[in-house]
Amino acid sequence: MDVEASLGEGPDLIVQKLIGGRQVLVPLDWVNNVSETSGIRLVTPRVWGYSDAGDGRLLTIMGVNATEYGTIFGAVGTDVLAGGRFIMENDTRRMVVGQGIVEMMAASGAAVTISVGSVLSLITYNGSLIEFVIVGVFSADSKIQSYDLIMTDISSARMVLGVDNSSCTDVAVWINYGSDLNGVAFQLDSSLSQARILTRDAMKNTMLRTYGGRAGVAALLWACVLVTVLLLVFTASSAGSEEARREVGLLKALGFDTVDILEIRTVESVTLGALGANFGISLAIVFDFILGAPLLAGYLLGWNLVLLNGGIPLAVSSATILTVLAAAIVPVMVATVVPSWRNAITEPDTVLRGV
Amino acid sequence: MTVTVRTENLWKTYGGGGPHQVDAVRDVTIEIERGEITAIGGPSGSGKTTLLSLVGLLTRPTKGKVLYGDQDFSGLSEVFRTRARRQRIGFIFQAQYLIPQLTAVENVALPMLCLDVPRSEAEKLAAIRLSSLGMNHRLDFRVAELSGGEQQRVSIARSLMNAPEILIADEPNASIDEKSAEELHFVLREMVERNKLTVLLASHDAQVLNWADRRLNMRDGKIVD
Repeated sequence: MDVEASLGEGPDLIVQKLIGGRQVLVPLDWVNNVSETSGIRLVTPRVWGYSDAGDGRLLTIMGVNATEYGTIFGAVGTDVLAGGRFIMENDTRRMVVGQGIVEMMAASGAAVTISVGSVLSLITYNGSLIEFVIVGVFSADSKIQSYDLIMTDISSARMVLGVDNSSCTDVAVWINYGSDLNGVAFQLDSSLSQARILTRDAMKNTMLRTYGGRAGVAALLWACVLVTVLLLVFTASSAGSEEARREVGLLKALGFDTVDILEIRTVESVTLGALGANFGISLAIVFDFILGAPLLAGYLLGWNLVLLNGGIPLAVSSATILTVLAAAIVPVMVATVVPSWRNAITEPDTVLRGV
Repeated sequence: MTVTVRTENLWKTYGGGGPHQVDAVRDVTIEIERGEITAIGGPSGSGKTTLLSLVGLLTRPTKGKVLYGDQDFSGLSEVFRTRARRQRIGFIFQAQYLIPQLTAVENVALPMLCLDVPRSEAEKLAAIRLSSLGMNHRLDFRVAELSGGEQQRVSIARSLMNAPEILIADEPNASIDEKSAEELHFVLREMVERNKLTVLLASHDAQVLNWADRRLNMRDGKIVD
């Protein structure tokens, strides 16, 4: 889900230049060459690289054409920004920062709180400092890509990263609505011999390869936890539990109908399951956002941990909440209500005596 | 005297047809008079508890009838039998079967809840009943915080909450001391005298059997005298 959210506002194609298998800077005249290809809506150069945050962590700096990128974000209509605005055409040394930058500065105990309007200095390629004014903060929905990202105008990015005015790092391409993405990619690949063309699908596959297999392991861990919970609940509340069995026998003896008993047990199990789920969600929040998901983050995020800080990115939807609640409540209900029903339809004497 | 409950040729067989078949109750015909304490004596395994369960509609007879008035409950569906237990029968179990998570008042209020009495009203009535048994200082105590005698009093209070026609008590002095047993006798006798309550109890204890107005003895599933 986070992968989908991260790619939602990204380009359809990225054009890079390779020499001898290495990625090198792209000459700006490629932008014109790419623009001439049919089926293309927008072509814009990007300059990106990394800047040392001063404590060993790296921040991703991306310089874009504010007008062109702003158009795209506006067209996509997603909640890209949590606050402030995107960079505009004549902005220089203005930046939009990811949530990670805000959290990293807060955690470092810096005197300046990072928010819209704050000033932040970046270390350039030759070790000098350049001051930037923060004009916006990315939302958490695209955390995988934007968490450690600083987006600024292309000229300012050139100054920080040491890229000359005639080059860019890659070229971002959006195709016309209804155009064949693979067809356009094939045309570009044919016309630019040194180009490597990355389609949205290829980028998605790369990200899923990075996170997908690990998500499978996480799902397996989930399944193990779920089965364990199911077994524990079943042991605690099933016909095997003397206390639960006798309680049903007693209620029947006193005159409670089977329906009354099932109602009592259902309310009990739903309450217990919902409380358990909420407790689990609270623990997960503490584990992930406060403790930084120790052990698990290192495995699930892999190399990204170098850049990311503060736990596993999480995209929470109502469907996710409902799934978690269902996963907590349904096993408890099944393990509680079914044995109670079996006992409730048995003669009270048999249930009470346990024969 | 008016008959509250009558059994006719009552049989209860466990493990029917198999090599381990046991006739726990064999051809028992008895009449339980209203406003009397009837005690069933006999050694362990003689079928006392099974007979109480049959009369209390907690289990169905293999053969024979259990009649309250003229109505035979042995063949009725579980819904009707449950309704009859709710409205006409009170139980004091040998093991008491109090719910440990609930307080004394909550345990006593249980029979009222299935009679659709609101919880607050049921607990108010339960508190009055417990207080009449000298338990007003233990109303909100959980079961584990009560002594054996106090637990027995909670059990007695619960058994009387639905104003039953008949109170069925299985080894009512099993988990209490002699003093508490005497108190229990006093309470039962008072209920019989004042409310014309019918009591059917089973015990192998001579002291308890002496409480009875009428005494029956069982051996090998049969009434022997």
